[in-house]
Amino acid sequence: MTLTSPPVLLSLIIFLPALGALVIGLLPKGRDDLFKQVALATTILTAILTIVVAMPASPSGNSSVGFELGKAQMQYAFSIPWIESFNIYYALGIDGISLPLVLLTSFLSILAMGASWTINKHVKAYCILFLLLEMGMLGVFMALDFFLFYVFWEVMLLPMYFLIGIWGGPRREYAAIKFFLFTMAGSVLMLVAILVLYFNSDVNKLNVMAVTSSHVHESVQEEYDPDSKTPLHTFNLLALAHQGQAADSPFSQDLVWGKSIQWWVFLLLLIGFLVKVPSVPIHTWLPDAHVEAPTPISMILAGVLLKMGGYGIIRICYPICPEAAYDLAWLVCSLGVISMVYGAFAAMAQTDFKRLVAYSSVSHMGYVVLGLGVWSLGGATATGDYWKMGMNGAMFQMIAHGISSAGMFFLVGVIYERVHHRNLDDFGGLFGKMPVYTGISMGIFFAALGLPGLCGFIGEVLVVLSVWNYSQVLAVISASVVILTAGYILWTIQRVYLGAEYRGPHAEEIKPMTKRELAIAAPLLAFAIVFGVYPKVVFNYMSPSVDKVVDDIAATQTHYSRLRRTADAERSEALPTDLAALETRVDREEATQP
Amino acid sequence: MELATLLPLLLLLAWLLPLASFTVIVFAGPRLGRAGHKAGYIATGAIGTSLVLSLIALGSWLWHHPIVSTHHDEAAVHGEADRHGETGNHEEHETPEAHGEHASPVHFTDDWYTLAEFGSLKLTIGYYIDALTLGMFVMVSLIATCIHVYSFGYMHEELEDVTDPLASTSSGKPLVRAGRFHRFYQYLSLFCFSMLGLVVAGNIAMVFVFWELVGICSYLLIGFYIERKSASNAANKAFIVNRVGDFGMIIGLMVLFGGLGTFAFGDIEDANGTVHPGIFSQVRPDENGRELTVPDGLVRMAAASQMDSIYESMPSAEEAEIQIAQRITELRKHNTGYWLLILAGLGIFCGCVGKSAQFPLHVWLPDAMEGPTPVSALIHAATMVAAGVYLVGRFYPVFAPEVLLVIAYVGCATLFMAATIAITATDIKRVLAYSTVSQLGYMMFSLGVGGWAAGLFHLFTHAFFKSLLFLCSGSVIHACHTNEMPEMGGLRKKMPWTAWTMLAGCLAISGAGIPLLYGLSGFHSKDSILAQAFSFGQRSPSQAWLFWVAAAGAAITAFYMFRLWFMTFAGKPRNQRVYDHAHESPASMYVPLVILAFFAVTAGWPVPGLNLPGLLEQARPVGTAEGFPGSVEIASLVVPAEHLSHLDAVHRPVSMIASGAAVTGFLIAVLFYLVRVFNPETVRRALWPVHAFLIHKWFFDELYDLVFVKPTLLLAQVAGALDRLVIDRLADGSARFCVAVARIDDLIDRLVVDRIVNGLGRLTYGFGQRLRPLQSGLLRQYVVMIAVSTVALFLLIFFYRNMTLLP
Amino acid sequence: MFILGQPVSLSHYLVVGAILFVCGIVCMATKRNAIGVLMGVELVLNGAAVNFVAFSCPFLRADSHLALGLDGHLITLFIIVLAAAEAAVALAIALCYYNTHATIDVDEGDELKG
Repeated sequence: MTLTSPPVLLSLIIFLPALGALVIGLLPKGRDDLFKQVALATTILTAILTIVVAMPASPSGNSSVGFELGKAQMQYAFSIPWIESFNIYYALGIDGISLPLVLLTSFLSILAMGASWTINKHVKAYCILFLLLEMGMLGVFMALDFFLFYVFWEVMLLPMYFLIGIWGGPRREYAAIKFFLFTMAGSVLMLVAILVLYFNSDVNKLNVMAVTSSHVHESVQEEYDPDSKTPLHTFNLLALAHQGQAADSPFSQDLVWGKSIQWWVFLLLLIGFLVKVPSVPIHTWLPDAHVEAPTPISMILAGVLLKMGGYGIIRICYPICPEAAYDLAWLVCSLGVISMVYGAFAAMAQTDFKRLVAYSSVSHMGYVVLGLGVWSLGGATATGDYWKMGMNGAMFQMIAHGISSAGMFFLVGVIYERVHHRNLDDFGGLFGKMPVYTGISMGIFFAALGLPGLCGFIGEVLVVLSVWNYSQVLAVISASVVILTAGYILWTIQRVYLGAEYRGPHAEEIKPMTKRELAIAAPLLAFAIVFGVYPKVVFNYMSPSVDKVVDDIAATQTHYSRLRRTADAERSEALPTDLAALETRVDREEATQP
Repeated sequence: MELATLLPLLLLLAWLLPLASFTVIVFAGPRLGRAGHKAGYIATGAIGTSLVLSLIALGSWLWHHPIVSTHHDEAAVHGEADRHGETGNHEEHETPEAHGEHASPVHFTDDWYTLAEFGSLKLTIGYYIDALTLGMFVMVSLIATCIHVYSFGYMHEELEDVTDPLASTSSGKPLVRAGRFHRFYQYLSLFCFSMLGLVVAGNIAMVFVFWELVGICSYLLIGFYIERKSASNAANKAFIVNRVGDFGMIIGLMVLFGGLGTFAFGDIEDANGTVHPGIFSQVRPDENGRELTVPDGLVRMAAASQMDSIYESMPSAEEAEIQIAQRITELRKHNTGYWLLILAGLGIFCGCVGKSAQFPLHVWLPDAMEGPTPVSALIHAATMVAAGVYLVGRFYPVFAPEVLLVIAYVGCATLFMAATIAITATDIKRVLAYSTVSQLGYMMFSLGVGGWAAGLFHLFTHAFFKSLLFLCSGSVIHACHTNEMPEMGGLRKKMPWTAWTMLAGCLAISGAGIPLLYGLSGFHSKDSILAQAFSFGQRSPSQAWLFWVAAAGAAITAFYMFRLWFMTFAGKPRNQRVYDHAHESPASMYVPLVILAFFAVTAGWPVPGLNLPGLLEQARPVGTAEGFPGSVEIASLVVPAEHLSHLDAVHRPVSMIASGAAVTGFLIAVLFYLVRVFNPETVRRALWPVHAFLIHKWFFDELYDLVFVKPTLLLAQVAGALDRLVIDRLADGSARFCVAVARIDDLIDRLVVDRIVNGLGRLTYGFGQRLRPLQSGLLRQYVVMIAVSTVALFLLIFFYRNMTLLP
Repeated sequence: MFILGQPVSLSHYLVVGAILFVCGIVCMATKRNAIGVLMGVELVLNGAAVNFVAFSCPFLRADSHLALGLDGHLITLFIIVLAAAEAAVALAIALCYYNTHATIDVDEGDELKG
């Protein structure tokens, strides 16, 4: 057990924030600056560790840590018994899908902590909750055990509730409860799905290859016996995925109303994750939560929490329930497009700056949902390349949105701290008074607008281009969103930054950005540019794993479509006999009548 | 050095220099000397170097590929025609290029940089360099250099604090703000980078990338005077209207990328030596004689369900592919997927409509005049707005005849409509803006009727004379501090350089020249457009009217241009204060005017070995030399080959008609505004409905506001309200419902359950209370009680036994 | 058939026992003096003891051939011992009672009433 062994390293990443929280808890009260410094130091340390994990491994393979680029499988994966009687393990791992999100989380945590310097109320509690939140987020992205995933998912929820509910704006209680209830409803559905999956899973039905590649614990591997009649249940996400993709998947049995287990589980999980994304029509917690949350929490909320929905869909929904995903692709894509259009329209109608940015998040996360759903395989395209492009685009859009939306919320916070209002019609003329701020804002807003050379463009264009081969109608609608996006963003820029003079209250408070604010905003803009110009820096990590998801699912689809065709054929043959049987029965009944 | 390595290197450098300049100015901006005035030197130095590099590139190109066919080289032209057995018997003048008429034009293409890659799908930054690219590159960097220099004079006010009378403040006082000289050059540099990137782009996605970037530069520069509401409105309008066009373009991109799996124009050889066919060779494959062919990918896409079922019915992917290949050949005979080709073409054209301000998306360009005049000259006259035309020219091989017809209609509508609006405009820049729209319409029209070289030729000549005209107008505005022509008059005495160079511009745009011989640049390019239109009308008689509209447009052009010149420079001063204030501009401003005037006069000249049509001929797109003979959807549509328009039978009458139209327009202008035989006022009053219609720009803004803007905002309000009033109410309602249920629960607990339990308790307690006196504490009483009870018990048992025992 | 006219049998003993018992009960119920009550208790016990002795007398039992017939005597002995012990405890209680209440009237000691 050296420091570089995966269990230590990954656990350290997750629990370092908790450790920091503990340290802050033990410090004597009243030393607010010290709390903030410790919290910031913890986030920085965590980020350094994540960077250590993400450093590309040297090709010779002699370095003990490092991420192997181009490898699609889980890395740093391990499994430690936790609650063995229920086959629950403390299993963590990182692959190309989670690593960028982990990095994003640790990076945004630093910036959000930096943005927390203006918090002056209950600083100790704030710092502790903030660090616990970070722990939860990192845990969600690394968990390989569904139960562990759920635990982290819930762990993250509570600090968020308090952070909004205590440090928020005037309607914070309402917003916090709304956030909590929406998310809770989603996670309850998820819990049901988890249990359904668990009790239908059976490691024994997998082949040896699948078992070993699932990183299940050694004891499970020993217990594994293909001939055994008693099922060996599991929470392991990879093992569940293997079962979902198997030709004789236990999840394909019918459950209720003629729909398979997969179908229901997919639906439950999808709703659970879509609440987080959020997708229309379960998005209304987001504007309220954002408007009320303090700036750093808005950054985290938009930058990281929303990504968990997308992450859940690509990590859990699709691999475990590929057949259901195929059946319900229309739903996923339609919801994505509806979110894009609806969010854009709703954003245009807002007069509260933060609300507008919140709705733009709904619109932009619509791209993510759409990109994940564009199931374009089969004869027309022959390869899954377009779908890979869409999924990669969606994943990239998550990162890009993490950068741009966190930036936008921060920038809104900067001006809010000066003038204490967010009414779009009461701004104007900031260009003259805060030129650097305006410059950075324009950069970030243009990134959200999808301007080439900035991060938003890559994600959006890849998603939109991939849609055509799935559905031409949706493609046209999704393309039209570029107009609406341009509309509301430019209109916002005009109302806030341009114009002859500032129109609202506290004009005397408007001063140029401080160094601290610049230190937070500038890296965001820098990353927006880097990701826009050199997106491969993300794709090099991400693509192999995303492509693997597509390839795995594609492999099942060929199987399913054949299966489905035979089933259809059987049904069409079976129908006449059924009818005949029915007729004979009717005849008999008539004969028995007096 | 090999041309294939030299050219990309030169152009790469020339392209990236402005970006470097932009970066430097962003970071160093205000620190570059007083008010950042050194930013101007940096930007100008960068673009100047780009100009030199691109000139070297063009020179080395011409060294390797000299222009052989010269002006009206009818021998060569007829020679070509002869081979196809269409006309006369002339000596054959075979040129090296003519040999390879079925081969692609000489070009170099490759990728510089890959943005993203998924299997076979790629998003790259690359180059496609042919004669057209080089010509555009030189033109853009030349005009940009001129304008950088000119801006030193024009923007010098920005070096001090500026008092902006047009920005309204609440106090009513004019706004005083810090100068933004460096910012102007920063934007200009970014624009140059974007525009050059657009020109050199090797694939349509890269075009789109820089398309957006020039769009945002245009946005920033139109809104340069950010304090003015009108400026920021115009900037928004420009960008959003362009996005409407981009919406169409994205659809085009989706069709092409979805079907062909590539964005590249030309074939690209990768490191392994595998050649990946580009769009051009997929749409016009060698094996089909470079005729327009629906590519496999589009056929597959159009018949996706069939392909799916084949794919599923076959045991392996390889067998399915064989089957599909057979099916595709069958389907292609029925033109399956042809509509997708049309859709792709229309989509791409849609983007061009936005960028080149064609009807019906022309509305943004006149408003874009809110930007500083050098910007109008560079972006909104010479380069960016021409990018749409350039893209149509670049993408020419992919357009189906039906698409070309649409392009022709759109161009024709644009050129006529914009010309009519220009008649009544009084803002000097707006006249020029509408004139630009109209001339862009000419270019599109020309491309649409098959005049590829003619349209692009006009793009070049127009770039020179229109930027000249804009800069002249900028000089006038600089001197007079007003845009309104009715305030001007007689200025030629005050500012001779400006007046005479502008006259050259007016003559060029009107197409002045000696018919059939030499003329100013516009003479040559407009003649060839009209000739092609005439030739088109001959082949497709139902479309012959297009020619006459274009000819009428030529007359109107001459009229409004001379109206402008006469109102500004001729006659007597109308506003003495303005006249007194006017002065000739500094040398930094009129030297570029002279340079541009030189090109405006000479750009069209058929100098042997160095002329634009010849250069363009070298880049003639694959398979379009013979026109577009067959149309699937419209039987009567034939787009003739361009060389046919050079025939005397076509060229001579058209040249006469064109000159006649121009002269007519000029004479009317003279009668109205110079010798004042007619009074414009009386005519206006007599034709007031027409005037109102024109002065309101055909009511497009009002119409769009009513049809698009208002409904969009309404929809936005609806969406916002839907959230607040429906979804939120549902969520809140369900929460309230839960609370209500909880209340009822609480009531049941308190009123029913609690009362039962409490009642039981009370009952027991009361009973105990009743029994309490029994325990009196009196010993003797207890004894008695015990005794009596025992006896009673005994008696009870006794009697019980008796009762049961006795019958 | 008057009982006195019969030869002495078990019934006579039982009648004596019953008289003693009743006297004891009456004594307990009527005497306010604790010592009196104690005497009543003694009477009750002795009444019972008479009964035991009578029941265990071999001449008065029908099943004397089956048992040795010492159980009644033994219990009577126990009763006597118990009575002695009880009297000691009761007198001690009475003494304590007197110390606290300055009387041995049992009616005064009603602190334990409900």
